[in-house]
Amino acid sequence: MDYILEGFREALKLLISFDKEVYDIITLSLFVSTTATIIASLICIPLGIHLGLKEFKGKRAFSRILYTSMSVPSVIVGLVVAIALSRRGPLGGLNLLYTPKAMIIAQTLLVTPLILGLTYSLSKNRGKEIEKVGTSLGAGRGDIIVLTIKELKLDLLVNVVTAFSRAISEVGAVMIVGGNIKNRTRVITTTISMMNSMGDYPMAIALGLVLLLMSFVINSLIYTYSGED
Amino acid sequence: MEISVVNLKKYYGEKQVLDIEELTIEKGKITGLIGPNGSGKSTLMNIISGIDLDFFGTIRYDGKPLDRSIYMNMTLVFQKPYLFRRRVYENIEYPLKVRGMDKGERIKKVENIIKRFEIEELREKKAHRLSGGESQKVSLARALIFEPKLLLLDEPTSNIDPESIKIMEREILRFNQETKGTVLIVTHNIEQSKRLCHNIIYLENGKVGYLE
Repeated sequence: MDYILEGFREALKLLISFDKEVYDIITLSLFVSTTATIIASLICIPLGIHLGLKEFKGKRAFSRILYTSMSVPSVIVGLVVAIALSRRGPLGGLNLLYTPKAMIIAQTLLVTPLILGLTYSLSKNRGKEIEKVGTSLGAGRGDIIVLTIKELKLDLLVNVVTAFSRAISEVGAVMIVGGNIKNRTRVITTTISMMNSMGDYPMAIALGLVLLLMSFVINSLIYTYSGED
Repeated sequence: MEISVVNLKKYYGEKQVLDIEELTIEKGKITGLIGPNGSGKSTLMNIISGIDLDFFGTIRYDGKPLDRSIYMNMTLVFQKPYLFRRRVYENIEYPLKVRGMDKGERIKKVENIIKRFEIEELREKKAHRLSGGESQKVSLARALIFEPKLLLLDEPTSNIDPESIKIMEREILRFNQETKGTVLIVTHNIEQSKRLCHNIIYLENGKVGYLE
């Protein structure tokens, strides 16, 4: 029991003393996951709304494939990206493996089906009415997509946060393509995993607390925003 | 805008819900569409408005098939209005914005219609928090702001207070008289159809019963 309490004490010390290594890890984690979430959101939100509203042949089959791909394991994504970026892979010449860029690519691919699927489902269920009213008021296709984004912004924000949470908490993909290299590609989850296997708990607990704090702050912001809406 | 419907057939699965051989909605007139529940009134409105394109037959707007310019000149007010999650002012302004009207002109038009509908106190309120009657007035104001050539109204005054009905009927009549816009209104209220309409179409089981 003592070592757990000791772990918490040390963790708080690391956080309060602004330990450089801890804060570098937190910064890189935030940078990688935020960038991946933004890239995926910019592509998937308009696309998901468009596909959700549009009637096309094979839509049911498309829905099934999309929803299945939402739960693709992160290690599979990591493996695919690692193979593509490895020296003998099709993108090997870019020398991106074991860099933050590779981690961003992997996490973007990881959250893309999630944001696309959630947006598609939202648009399919609630976008039709918005489309109907928008069309009746003279809105064109582009106007309808912008209008739907504005009308469903809170739900879309929740979807984006869900995707960000998946990105920042996953360990498989970033471990495979980033390699958990100190001062280079080490992020919160890979460090917690490594520290745990080494039996070094203070830093693992410190980073775990930061993850929890992030989740609390993000959720509080969403609730505040939704209350104002 | 004159609407002519020829050999219109609409199915939901196996069930035929509309079967209209020929029907003309006269230009510049207010036409009432009445009939029992499930007779196909709302379906016909959705088809004429271009929202529902899944039907057989021909519909002509001043002799032309549906295109973007026709979409821009007609609108449909729904029985349960959907107002955007923004201020009342912005809701009413929306059709002018998508038509690319400049800001000065927009302000003038919106302020004018807000006054006419007597909804000055709602101006800054979030539209999705309004009562039924308030929502319907805002919805009609939003539809009339761009002076459409064809105004389709699907039971716009059902379940709202008499004062709001009075204002809405007054504005529908004013719209028709001032702009010569065509109006097609679904109503269950015979008295209302007498007050507003030049012509009445009776729809039953998807077929036109009689024309008066």
